[in-house]
Amino acid sequence: MSATSEGVKAMSPPQSRPATAAPKHQLVGLLRRRYLAGTLSVVGGLLLWELISRFLVANALFLAAPSEIVVALYNLAATGQLWHHVGVSAAEFALGYVIASILGIALGLAMASRATTKQALQPWVSGLYATPTIALAPLFILWFGIGIWSKVIVVIALVLFPVTINTEAGLRTTSERLIEMLRSFGATPRQIFLKVSLPSAVPFILAGLKLGIGRGLIGVVVAELFGSRAGLGRLISQSADAFNMPELFAGVVVLAVAGIVMTAGFGWLEGKLVPWTRD
Amino acid sequence: MAPKLTVSHLSKWFGGLEALRGIDLAVERGEFIAVVGPSGCGKTTFLRIVAGLEHATAGDVLLDGCVVREPGTDRGFVFQNDSLLPWRTVLANAIIGREVAGSIGPADRNRTMELLKLVGLEGFEHYHPRQLSGGMRQRVNLARALAIDPEILLMDEPFAALDAQTREIMQAELLRIWERGHKTVLFVTHQIDEAVFLSDRVLVFARRPGRLLAEVKIALPRPRDLEIKRTAEFVALVDRIWRMIEDDVRAAALYENA
Repeated sequence: MSATSEGVKAMSPPQSRPATAAPKHQLVGLLRRRYLAGTLSVVGGLLLWELISRFLVANALFLAAPSEIVVALYNLAATGQLWHHVGVSAAEFALGYVIASILGIALGLAMASRATTKQALQPWVSGLYATPTIALAPLFILWFGIGIWSKVIVVIALVLFPVTINTEAGLRTTSERLIEMLRSFGATPRQIFLKVSLPSAVPFILAGLKLGIGRGLIGVVVAELFGSRAGLGRLISQSADAFNMPELFAGVVVLAVAGIVMTAGFGWLEGKLVPWTRD
Repeated sequence: MAPKLTVSHLSKWFGGLEALRGIDLAVERGEFIAVVGPSGCGKTTFLRIVAGLEHATAGDVLLDGCVVREPGTDRGFVFQNDSLLPWRTVLANAIIGREVAGSIGPADRNRTMELLKLVGLEGFEHYHPRQLSGGMRQRVNLARALAIDPEILLMDEPFAALDAQTREIMQAELLRIWERGHKTVLFVTHQIDEAVFLSDRVLVFARRPGRLLAEVKIALPRPRDLEIKRTAEFVALVDRIWRMIEDDVRAAALYENA
């Protein structure tokens, strides 16, 4: 039985992870290796931008230097204008995004659960996903006015379809092996759906929602450019009309930060909710 | 005493392909049966029909006198690939059969914990499958099937994907676990030495069509350990079974490569 005891010994629970026990200078070294190139690239890029706008272009009507953008951001924030614009855009995005997520997941579920539903909806979903529905923004503004609802509709139109498509694909591609495993225990179709298909579709659904962030932001801004009273798109178009480059870039920077932060937040959420997809 | 499992005149066609022809078998309570044969002999199909995952074209499978048609918790299936749910912990994976059967209480949880301890996974209950080795995942696979306390254990080449050393260890582990309860086992494998080491009786299948070629009684003393594989008696048994299927295996190898 020597082989058996060896097998058990080889499986004793692992000790605390080496990373936490590593000396501090090793950790710093690791961080340096991982982030050095990225940090240098960003700092270098900003520096180049600063130099080009100060000495090469040197025309405040065409380009704003990063330092000027920071000042503009500070001023906009101090007067409260920034928060007003951000608040309106955020409300439009959040409403549209949440509605589109719920609708998209529901549509995906409906398509995955019945073949005829899928056949009926597929041409619409694929067609509208491929269509640059952002082009319909002026129409929505005509229909729903220049308030927030026209923007909410545009966001829904852009976010809905990637979520639907991913939800349906996630449910459809559930591993046959896992379904069969559950079936061997006499599971009902409902149990198979709840215990296998739905959890294994979660990574797909999250990927669809992540894709929706960028599309939703585009929707908000472009719809606001077409006609609005407030919002980051409005701030950008106002600044462009006034050739106020620092404020124009300030609006873009806020949008970029929002996109980066939300996408990073999703990455974090994926690590928490679906860690098995990481390996 | 009536046999635990009775298979009579079992046949299976996949379209125009005859996969199994006229299988007859009686398995006693507590018997460990191994099924060997070349690839394409229908041994896995046979096991899947007993599990209710596949329907027979003709013939019957009776478990404790009742006809088997659908999967059920009276049979525990151990899959070739572990088929663990990656989002569930070891414990949550092992308990899923009981969960499917009804709501689970502390008693089910305790029993499953006991089984995980039995298969050598004490302390790993809250790990996820990705944190385990192949051998450990197969231990969970086994515990999951045992957790529903089945009348019969159906094992489909459960160690085929493991490396040679781990496989040996798992064979010895399986016997250790089996000695505790003497469940009735139907074990499909393509490894003759594994079949001889584990079982009381080896069923030798032939291919095209899949049929029962011979039965070999394994009278080696129990409990067995891995040392027994080096005895002359063991080697003679393996050799005898190999001779029975040698031509078929060669034909299968040619056929598979063609």
